[in-house]
Amino acid sequence: MRPVLVIAGKDLRQRLRDRSAVVIGLVAPLAVALLMSLAFKGTENFHYTLALVNADRGPIAGAMVQAFESKSLRSIVTVEDYARQTTAAQAVRNGRAQAGLVIPAGYSARLAGAAPLSLTTLTNVNNTTATSVTQSIVSSFVAQLDADRLSVATAQSAGSTKSTAGLTALASQLRIPEQLVARAVGARQLKVISYMAPAMSIFFAFFLISYTARGFFEDKDQGMIERMRAAPVRPYQILVGKSLSVLVFGLGSLLVIFLVTTKLFGAYWGDPLSVVLICTALVLAIVALTALVIGVARTKRQAEGMSSALVFGLALLGGNFVFLSASPEVMQRIALFTPNGWALRAFTKLSTSGGALHTAAVPVLAILGFALVIGVVAAVLAPRSVTS
Amino acid sequence: MGVLLNCRGLDKRFDDRQAVDGITFSIDAGEVYGLLGPNGAGKTTTIKMVCGLLQPDAGSVEIEGRALDRDLSAKALIGYVPQDVALYPDLTAAENLSFLGRLYALDGALLRARVAEALELTDLTDRRDDRVESFSGGMKRRLNIAAGLLHHPSLLVLDEPTVGVDPQSRHAILERVREFGAGGMAVLYTTHYMEEAERVCDRVAIVDRGRMVAEGTRRELVSKLGERDRIELGATGDLDALACSCRQIPAVDSATVADGSVQVIASEARAVLPSIVEAAASVGVALDSVQVVEPDLEAVFLHLTGTALRE
Repeated sequence: MRPVLVIAGKDLRQRLRDRSAVVIGLVAPLAVALLMSLAFKGTENFHYTLALVNADRGPIAGAMVQAFESKSLRSIVTVEDYARQTTAAQAVRNGRAQAGLVIPAGYSARLAGAAPLSLTTLTNVNNTTATSVTQSIVSSFVAQLDADRLSVATAQSAGSTKSTAGLTALASQLRIPEQLVARAVGARQLKVISYMAPAMSIFFAFFLISYTARGFFEDKDQGMIERMRAAPVRPYQILVGKSLSVLVFGLGSLLVIFLVTTKLFGAYWGDPLSVVLICTALVLAIVALTALVIGVARTKRQAEGMSSALVFGLALLGGNFVFLSASPEVMQRIALFTPNGWALRAFTKLSTSGGALHTAAVPVLAILGFALVIGVVAAVLAPRSVTS
Repeated sequence: MGVLLNCRGLDKRFDDRQAVDGITFSIDAGEVYGLLGPNGAGKTTTIKMVCGLLQPDAGSVEIEGRALDRDLSAKALIGYVPQDVALYPDLTAAENLSFLGRLYALDGALLRARVAEALELTDLTDRRDDRVESFSGGMKRRLNIAAGLLHHPSLLVLDEPTVGVDPQSRHAILERVREFGAGGMAVLYTTHYMEEAERVCDRVAIVDRGRMVAEGTRRELVSKLGERDRIELGATGDLDALACSCRQIPAVDSATVADGSVQVIASEARAVLPSIVEAAASVGVALDSVQVVEPDLEAVFLHLTGTALRE
């Protein structure tokens, strides 16, 4: 055991001293996770400013403005008043507002007539979503008005003795039944940072495969593996020592990023115990993959090529660059052949459903199974690389 | 003194090449034993088998009576100094030594003391905290040797430790090797420099094409030449033709071209010189210099193998 710890300690010292390892292990995953979270932030909490020109000032226009300023829409839209269409258009163009709505003068008065006036929306080509949302809100409002008008007309046709104003007041109290209700399946909405933080930290943790395999062949080229073997050290102890350093560095890196993104950036990976278990299983899979590369490759260049293919292949298939839940079903199935796919699936479930160990158990077992299969193959091949 | 290292019938084949063929030798405690031979003779393969880095196809290695292939702790008796510098360039001298010392179960105050001792022995104390990448070639070589001495091995194995070393460092290394032997340590020293073997080794084994062709003290080996002398001919022209012509002279044992000269082994140098001058004239070669050299290991090698050591 002692040679294992000595070799692991030396490797860790070298790794921590190497700035590139610290950058790849800690700085890069944090930076990329934050950048990607910023890039996808608009899809997570949508809110926009509406440049509103109310040239009508009538009761219907007033009701429409009230609808936009209602409590239920406050988290989505902020209304800013503009006197003229040109200034509103300017605000939309330069990004102060993301969409505009012009209610023409006489809109309320002519709404009940045969030729009602049209509303105009102002669109920023860079944010068509805001215009779509505006149109939806207006359509919903107009649908309510049409329903009111239809109700009044129906009542009058049926011989109602009430005045039109009275009927309108009655009709306005009726609401169109809601046809579409959005409700989150999990307890929480999946925040981008809660997906991207583990996705990027896992992606960069995969670089340990390349870093360690390359380091092994550098040790070999420098005669250090031979020098270790000349000491009373067995070949497997050299491999286990190197693997232990990967385990400690990889786990440390993942857990530091877990803590930083949780405490500073509001990410939620899941409950800490489940996170530790998933990360440990994942790093064991990385250790097994590293040993496999060392066992199969014969030179430093071969090791670099193999590990690069592994890193990017696993990241692409496992969903480190895209939301797995938004991927086609076939991709979601393929991801289950990768340890990172299982890990991301587990983190997504944990962060949305709030589940704990029972949620993490199957993914952890799947990752450990992957590590075991690869590890057995590597255990056959890798010692040959030490003694050859 | 008792036998410390005992190698019997070592064989090693790589594909279709027999690298080592039945090499047998033993080294006593306090003895400096040299393996002398040209590059590719099988010296490095032999010492890798001695250090447990290569598994012999046949034969055995015992250190202090312990079989190397069965007893891992026997490796702790060996200090291995590889031919190429094997150190971590991004670690300091002290960190490199501490790491290697820990592999030999040294720890704490004892480890610190041994690191300090090894650095002092190789005149590197003032560079202990400098990274190895900043060292000169000679300093790296010395530290490479220091790493093999940390755990006070019974047997120090040095594989061509002076290759690529400046004369000053080379002198220092050779002096140290002699001191190790005098201090009771057994030393296995491989080299293809005849003068190094003559200078530091108590006994020398001459190895060629994987076989041990002779073994003994310098005096014993030179005596194998009998009364033969070595004549070194500096000449301008077709040296191969000159060597061939010399071989026709009855008193000449061998004549080979090496290092831009013709090396002639003959039973009586002064008697054969006129014939050599005639032989040179007959093939149209102009002799620039003629030197009669006292018999040495180079001549022994030439005599035993028919080739020069540096070929």
